[in-house]
Amino acid sequence: MTLLTSAGRSRARTAGAVVITAVLLFPLYWMVNASFQPSGALLKASPDWFPVHGTLAGYREAFSGQTGHLLTSLVVALGTVVVSLAIALPAAYALAQLRVPGNLLVVFVFLTVQMIPGIVMADALYTVFSRLGMIDSYPGLILADSTATVPFAVLVLRAFMVSLPRELSEAARVDGAGYWRVFRSVVVPLSRNAVVTAGLFSFLFAWADFLFAVTMTTGQTIEPITVGIYRFVGNQTADWNGIMATAVLASVPAAVLLVIAQRYVVAGVTGGALKD
Amino acid sequence: MDISRTEPGGHPAEAAATGPSAQPPARTGRSGRTGRAGGPGRPRTQRSRQRLAAFGFLAPALAYLAVFFGYPLVQNISMGFRDYTVASFYTGAAPFTGLRNYTEVLGDPVFVKALVNTAVFTAGSLVFQFGIGLALAVYFNGRFLGSALLRSLLLLPWLLPLVVSGAVWRWMLDQDHGVVNTALRALHLAGGSAGVPWLTSPSWALPAVILANVWIGIPFNLVLLHGGLRAIPDVLYEAAELDGAGPWQRFRHVTWPLLRPVSGVVLMLGLVYTVKVFDVIMVVTRGGPANASQTLTTWSYQLSFQQFQFGQGAAVGNLLILITTGFGLLYLRSARAGLAEAAS
Amino acid sequence: MAVGAVVALTATACGPGTAPAKSGSGGGGSTAAAGSITELDYYTDAAGSAAWQQALSGCTAKTGVKVKRQSVPTDQLIQKVLQGAASHTLPDLVLADNPTLQQIAATGALTPLSQYGISTAGYYDSIVKAGTYQGKVYGLAPGVNGLALIYNKDLLSRAGISAPPATWAQLKADAAKLTKGSTYGLAFSAVNSEEGTWQFLPFFWSDGGDLSKLDSAQGAQALGYVRGLVASGSASKSVVSWNQNDVADQFTSGNAAMMVNGSWTLPALDQQKNLHYGVVPLPTPQAGQKPVVALGGEVGAIPATGTATQKAAAKVLSCILSEPTMLAWDKSHAYIPTRQSTAQTFARQNPELSSFVAEVETARSRTAQLGTAYPKISTALATALQSALTGQQSPAAALAQAQKQASG
Repeated sequence: MTLLTSAGRSRARTAGAVVITAVLLFPLYWMVNASFQPSGALLKASPDWFPVHGTLAGYREAFSGQTGHLLTSLVVALGTVVVSLAIALPAAYALAQLRVPGNLLVVFVFLTVQMIPGIVMADALYTVFSRLGMIDSYPGLILADSTATVPFAVLVLRAFMVSLPRELSEAARVDGAGYWRVFRSVVVPLSRNAVVTAGLFSFLFAWADFLFAVTMTTGQTIEPITVGIYRFVGNQTADWNGIMATAVLASVPAAVLLVIAQRYVVAGVTGGALKD
Repeated sequence: MDISRTEPGGHPAEAAATGPSAQPPARTGRSGRTGRAGGPGRPRTQRSRQRLAAFGFLAPALAYLAVFFGYPLVQNISMGFRDYTVASFYTGAAPFTGLRNYTEVLGDPVFVKALVNTAVFTAGSLVFQFGIGLALAVYFNGRFLGSALLRSLLLLPWLLPLVVSGAVWRWMLDQDHGVVNTALRALHLAGGSAGVPWLTSPSWALPAVILANVWIGIPFNLVLLHGGLRAIPDVLYEAAELDGAGPWQRFRHVTWPLLRPVSGVVLMLGLVYTVKVFDVIMVVTRGGPANASQTLTTWSYQLSFQQFQFGQGAAVGNLLILITTGFGLLYLRSARAGLAEAAS
Repeated sequence: MAVGAVVALTATACGPGTAPAKSGSGGGGSTAAAGSITELDYYTDAAGSAAWQQALSGCTAKTGVKVKRQSVPTDQLIQKVLQGAASHTLPDLVLADNPTLQQIAATGALTPLSQYGISTAGYYDSIVKAGTYQGKVYGLAPGVNGLALIYNKDLLSRAGISAPPATWAQLKADAAKLTKGSTYGLAFSAVNSEEGTWQFLPFFWSDGGDLSKLDSAQGAQALGYVRGLVASGSASKSVVSWNQNDVADQFTSGNAAMMVNGSWTLPALDQQKNLHYGVVPLPTPQAGQKPVVALGGEVGAIPATGTATQKAAAKVLSCILSEPTMLAWDKSHAYIPTRQSTAQTFARQNPELSSFVAEVETARSRTAQLGTAYPKISTALATALQSALTGQQSPAAALAQAQKQASG
């Protein structure tokens, strides 16, 4: 990363960005604070702004029971990214770059299907999956989560690909490359930014999903972390200490992945893939 | 839902490209693309080959659509026309009742309230999410130390299960002991010592859930718009700067027009996701107090799973789909114009 | 049915672990009981889950029936049951919140407990009523709960209150006296859900309110009383957004001197070293009355999944309802036994829960009178409660509208 002409201006911007981030992430700080404190501590007349008299009990509980659930969530989220991109990338290419009649109708359908209420999707998929023996399996949960991410990925990738100069792919076609090669060697590399964005959000969708997670699993074999958090929520009680500690624990590995992915985007941009 | 009726001819893109609705092409950055061969004059064989290829690329997605969305959608539409009870789940029998679910739902006084709330919630969320997201995207687009790191940290709210973020927001917005009111009191903005009745007053509950939802939605807007900004070539800004354009003019004449395809999809997806927001409202206010933050989605859930009127719940869901379909058509019209612009 | 029976037979022939086949009528046949069953409950929290697991494991040891357990978050249970009903993959044993039993029985998927020889003799009448649908008993609970008044001893003595309130007038006066600085006299939940209705019902019923006629004068009086507590500032306006967890949090953080809450909160309160609390039955309109609280707790029910699995499930349920298991489970989960004789033993063993035991005797089932119509009335009543507490409508007007909504 090169510092621009005025290092001072850059520093001021960094300071501003830190303030913005701090304000926007305050609820997360409040969660972290809660994870170290007993129930009700944040509702005191003068709440503890820092967990100075904290307890690690929540983390002990979370660590002892939740690490397996984290792994499950990771597999499901990564699987969802793969499935979503595998289906969405070719579709987005066709919709953005190959002009055929009915394209916009397809776009429209992808937009509309996302309106089906989640619980209706879950009910219907449960019925189908239980007949196919796919309850409590990774493929089942990944496919269910993908219903939320495939339409999204198609629309986002298409929106980016529409603005790709078509001369590039057409020049390749003139050079004798087939559609598949143009797609693979020109369009996908050029869309790296958008691919990472779509992949990122697919990951986040699947990671934070609760409805499909609770519907498509029974806890006998696999259980994602969002359901695992309910191990601290009873019928009429809630162990906030444990819930918040689990949530913090759940955020850390995913946050690391996000930072890595973002660096990848920046590398792609500074590498000049999209600049001319 | 008969979509084909709205697009006579079935060649929307081509029709628009030559039709009167095509936008004038003279926009910065597009001018280099004029004079490209193709369009109506292309050879027939190449066209059909392109169609074949397009279909091949689309096939997996179309199959996926049919398998995973066809059945649930048909099920929901059918449920709306039936007297669907808990027994129907087990026996499969649900007598056809025509439009009765719809007339009952439309005649319920909660309907109008939920409809208005949905509109306010969606519009409020979209305006602030998009506005703040765009401002942040522009801010973070400048190169400065830590930009990428901070930007990815801003994605964190998306990682949280809603039971967690909802609970945190409920604590923060607690009227007497919440940290938001504590802060407002410190700044003398709270309007007396009572504080803002975020979750307890029928007039504040909706703004409170909008606030929580905007917070959750900002990262989505920020990252997508930032991606769109990154794709705009620097040379255009440099050229504009040489022409003496100030920051606002550069935004107005370079950023904004070139960001249009991405903005369009961000807003449209935002609309679809916001209209159906369920968990945030459920966790923060449960639609209360006294239906003050009840939207069509939460009401649909309440009808189905609290009152076990599944037919009416499905009817509300279908109405929601219908409404969004209307907005989807509007989006398509603008997207079509955008495509035509790109093609010209 | 013939096909169902054949499949059921082959299923048992394949040994335990085979998915049970669908069977419309699970008449007590001569088939042997299955070796393992599936079970569904909503005891997800660590303590509750461990206690329930202990009960199930004990019964596996006694009956030889293995139990494959699944626990889901509370508000997911009914969905899970309906999904199972639609795909005919219901669990063999379900522990459901008692007011939802009506809906589950209405699917037609449950079998009457009488066919397994599970008797209702000796149970409190209200719990039997809660498990009865169209004249047949489909569910019985190993433990129930109810609401009581939990108070902070230190705060009461500091305010010079020698004995906790027993009447509405005392509750009002004490709550006002205890309201000081950032502390409210009383906390309760009036949230927009079944929890809100459940917390209001003791006030509503104790004053003579009637769920089938929400807009009676007595109902309006009860609502007016609760509204007065909020309007006078003795209870926070935030009660409309608090669920019962939030109420407990407010109490433990010292923001409320008294709260309306259930026996299940006591284990968590015990963990707060600086908190000295006491429990008394909810105050009544007049001195000497007994409060009428709503009956809480989960009932065990057996869906029609096939003769062999139903029989095995019945064995497990009988064991869960047996005195030793009932006593152990209720002690570990802070519930009250459902058979009078067992409850008396329990009260002797656990004097700190005697307030709750006393209340269960007069507790009322929410669905006994209304059956499957209850959810609609409950929603209407919760809305009326919120409407009155936020000052949008007078108690009488709010209840009149609720009655219209409930009967419409």
